[in-house]
Amino acid sequence: MKVSLKLIKKYVDLPSNLTNKQIAYDLTLRTVEVENVENMTSKFHDIVVGKIEKIKEHPQADKLKICIVDIGEEKSVQIVCGGSNLYEGEYVVVCKPGAEVVWHGEGEPVKIKETKMRGELSYGMICAASEVFLTDFFPNEAETEIIDLKGIDCHPGQAVTELFDMDDTVLEIDNKSLSNRPDLWGHYGIARELSAIYNVPLKEIETYKIDSKLPKYNVEIKDKSKCHRYIGVEIDGIYDKPSPMWMQSLLVKVGQRPINAIVDITNYVMMVTGQPSHAFDRTHVSGEKIVVRNAKKNEELALLDHTTISLTEEDLVICDEKDPMCLAGIRGGAKDSILPETTGIVLEMANFDAGTIRNTGKRFSEKTDSSIRYEKGIDTQRIDQGINLALNLIEEIFPDSKILKYVDECPLSTENNKIEVTEEFLNTRLGKKISEDTVKQILTSLGYKVELKKGTYSVVVPTWRSTGDVTYKDDVMGDIARILSFDSFEPKPITISLEHSVKQNSVLLERRIREYLSYRCGFYEIYTYPWIDEKYIHAAKIDTTVAVKLATPPAPELSILRSSLIPGMLESISKNLRYFDSFKLFENTEVYKKGEYSPSSADEILPEQNMYLTGCIVGKDAKKIFYEAKGVLENMAAYCHMEELKFEQREKPEWADVNAYINIISRNQIIGSLGLVSVKAMADCKIKRINIAMFEIESYKFIPCDSRTNKYERLPELPLVEKDLSVLVDEEKTWSEIVKAIRSMVKELEFIEEYRGEKIPDGKKSVTLRIKLLNEGTTMTSEQINEKMSQILKVLDKKCGAILREE
Amino acid sequence: MENKLEKIKEKGLQKIEKVSILSELDEVRKELLGKKSEISDVLKSMSNLSIDDKKKIGMLATDIKNIFSNKMTEKEEQLISSMSVLEGPIDFTVPGKKVNGGALHPITQMKYDLDDAFLSLGFEVYSEDDISSEKYAFDNLNFAKNHPARQSMDTYWLEGTEDKEGSERLCLRPHLTGGSVRYLLEHGAPARFVYPGRVYRNETTDARHERAFFQYEALIVDKDISFSSGMVMIQTILEKVFGRKINVRMREGFFPFTEPGYEIDMECLVCGGKGCKVCNHNGWIEVMPGGVIHPNVLKAAGLDSNEWTGFYINIGLDRLVMMRYGVDDVRLFHSSDLRFIMQFK
Repeated sequence: MKVSLKLIKKYVDLPSNLTNKQIAYDLTLRTVEVENVENMTSKFHDIVVGKIEKIKEHPQADKLKICIVDIGEEKSVQIVCGGSNLYEGEYVVVCKPGAEVVWHGEGEPVKIKETKMRGELSYGMICAASEVFLTDFFPNEAETEIIDLKGIDCHPGQAVTELFDMDDTVLEIDNKSLSNRPDLWGHYGIARELSAIYNVPLKEIETYKIDSKLPKYNVEIKDKSKCHRYIGVEIDGIYDKPSPMWMQSLLVKVGQRPINAIVDITNYVMMVTGQPSHAFDRTHVSGEKIVVRNAKKNEELALLDHTTISLTEEDLVICDEKDPMCLAGIRGGAKDSILPETTGIVLEMANFDAGTIRNTGKRFSEKTDSSIRYEKGIDTQRIDQGINLALNLIEEIFPDSKILKYVDECPLSTENNKIEVTEEFLNTRLGKKISEDTVKQILTSLGYKVELKKGTYSVVVPTWRSTGDVTYKDDVMGDIARILSFDSFEPKPITISLEHSVKQNSVLLERRIREYLSYRCGFYEIYTYPWIDEKYIHAAKIDTTVAVKLATPPAPELSILRSSLIPGMLESISKNLRYFDSFKLFENTEVYKKGEYSPSSADEILPEQNMYLTGCIVGKDAKKIFYEAKGVLENMAAYCHMEELKFEQREKPEWADVNAYINIISRNQIIGSLGLVSVKAMADCKIKRINIAMFEIESYKFIPCDSRTNKYERLPELPLVEKDLSVLVDEEKTWSEIVKAIRSMVKELEFIEEYRGEKIPDGKKSVTLRIKLLNEGTTMTSEQINEKMSQILKVLDKKCGAILREE
Repeated sequence: MENKLEKIKEKGLQKIEKVSILSELDEVRKELLGKKSEISDVLKSMSNLSIDDKKKIGMLATDIKNIFSNKMTEKEEQLISSMSVLEGPIDFTVPGKKVNGGALHPITQMKYDLDDAFLSLGFEVYSEDDISSEKYAFDNLNFAKNHPARQSMDTYWLEGTEDKEGSERLCLRPHLTGGSVRYLLEHGAPARFVYPGRVYRNETTDARHERAFFQYEALIVDKDISFSSGMVMIQTILEKVFGRKINVRMREGFFPFTEPGYEIDMECLVCGGKGCKVCNHNGWIEVMPGGVIHPNVLKAAGLDSNEWTGFYINIGLDRLVMMRYGVDDVRLFHSSDLRFIMQFK
């Protein structure tokens, strides 16, 4: 919303030493966010009225003319111009050198210099409306035309700021910060806030005395729950003419286009008071009766642009005896326009139910200046301000007009909220003692009525704040705090109670796992969206029957919410393959499955939601990355201090390779899997030339240890004897069988490598193991060592068919 | 003979001096102190000298031997200390071996930085699940029945529940605040906790708008605390994030679940508060909303608003990370693009 400071100052005398910037700052801190402060005077500097005295042909250019222009200075100046509507004696707008214009109405403003155009000197330029921000005053100007001030009382040299009443500053207020304050959707509301902020008096809006003997205009409100008040005034002597320049100017400054005097008056009243109103051509209201009622099903309303809309029974319409004329509080129809032949009007000023306006507006995707105000909830008393202002303006602008009939129907007037607030409440919650005088001064200037008795303030909330805004004592406290400015309260330190330390093992475990994977194992953490592209879900063969879906997904293929992290990871891998061919990623986040889960109260049944962990290692050598990933998982429990995990092949995950997969077991339950991604899944994702080792674990099933799990063992007094052995075994023999065979005979046993190839017979593999031996008590002699090694070989031969590989 | 010895000494010392590598020193040692050395020759030729002379020359020869020996030890030390383990030169400009890469997502890094700050103030860390219901996301939080955020153009409702109401209408949570009531229902008051997480809004995305983004919210509920304590929390956070004290201001803001509500702006770090493009020429940047918990929210959490009060602050983590590093596109956080992620060690 744009606010003219000039209009504000009509209702409140601001301290004279205030800068406009300071006003904007104080409003921002205490009331609404001012996004921009625009100084109109500086925008129009060096732009003046000129009178064309003489027009000459340009010797070098057909389309350009040389104009001798009186700009109120000692001598007339020469300006070259290409306007198609130049004539001698024309009053035009001249930008003198130094002025800023927007070339052809586009782009950033450019500073004008005295220059030569095709060899002829030009002192500035004669402007089109779009070049000097005046389009709103001259909406019908053709592209090649310059501004013709015909019919406007002006003189050469007159500053445009003066002519168009532009010596003003406009504050642009963020509409979001107004959404809960229906009282601020007009200048008067902002003026009231400023009067409270600076503790200066607020002036009343001028009143109008209605002749009580006037005959009643016929208005019938059928649905009194939707229309709370309706004033109808029939006025004669109103015709189509422009409004005075000061009014047009105000409207332009706050972003409204001037139309004609009567429409401008209704808009001006809305800009001042926040109260919308509407004028019908008197003769268009058939039967001289206005009916406010719900539309009939499929009833049609003809609009100004010759289209029609089909209404529902929930839409409130303003009708004459027969048909709807307009959509209440939102927009007019074709029937109610002011036309050249108009001689009288019916002025409507009404109060409608906020929810009705909002719903109808939404139904027809209509958001108008009127509807956004009604939607917020306006008090019925606002109409008094509005009608007074409107009738005064009509009398001023149409001196010959005459009120013929008048009616004020008010089925439901807004009641003041009443709240009790204790001094103690204010003082503790605000953190400091606020004096009675200050409380009263602030609240009174905001329109409250306040009385203090025995430590309790009885507060009567003004009607304009009683439509949902101020309901609780906390709201009253909020008003006091903000007007004093939040910054004026000394920050109070937060005290820490040392009753118990924060100990959240699961939270800590999650962090340890993330840090382990990234900092120790070299994985990069990613976040993916919870909605997953179906293509990857199908590639990973994830069962979608358990998945939950979005009603309005970001895109049609993104309706399924993840029940597994695998598809999202596949997508991430595929995107990164364009730039990298070996990398490690992980993601630890929630997945969702149909189910019954009530975290907070029994009435709320949510889908199952649990933390999962997925990770991948991408590389060329499938076996290598498989073992690397296995190492990451095998060491995770020890490094992250959680209960041990076991690894067994029990059940193949759908996405995994036919051979290379393993399940992750905790407390004898499968909680996840590690595997190479299957050839088929990779093909479905169009992933080529690399392999992926991937794991997914129900990480919420990890069991954190209470403390670090390291174990201390006394250092051996004697050195360990280390021996490497390479043995030939059948392909089918597993490492775990070897371990099982000789584990009890050695102190330590370590896998070094597996080898196949030259010198290794088909169907066999060479396994190199490192054995560490320790004799309790004494150092081993070489005989003892050899004896032990040959025992080990014997056992390996017997249990695993292993033969020592000759080098 | 004495002269001869003097000469041998002179010559010998020169030889030692000239030695430049260790192996050469061994040869010189043999030459000067070995059985075939010149000193040995002198000593051998002493047989016809008087006892006194023998003694004298002998002592002199021993002295010279000691001198040689000391000098050579000295030389040896000198040579060893100037020796390199390398043969030939080394190019110091060749980069060293890379350390194991891997990193937390920049959002997680920021979250942990904040967790550390809040843990030191005795806060617990809580997380609500992503999927919530209208009851917890809106009703409990004093959102008006017809609040626009309840519409499907703003919030992601789950298929099959979108036309229901309250606890039966389910959504991806549009903000974290719903979690505050869950925590309070579970733990009661007093309470101080943070509840970071991801939230979801049905939006058109661009460089500044995302459908999924991260927030960090904190709530203190206690008796007799004033709203201005919120300021301390905010300063704590900003100091943690930017490593120094940041000027902030509190101004009027409106949120259904607070009364009063405020917006917290920080001084623009780009222009130092003078006004620039980044801060829309006003010197301040909106960083977080906050406010005193609304009595209706306390009521939903089963707490008496006459007894308890408290305040929220909420920080947009994406925004904070963007400011910390100058990231210019919010969509990068969910891109899983390693070229981006790898920049944050």
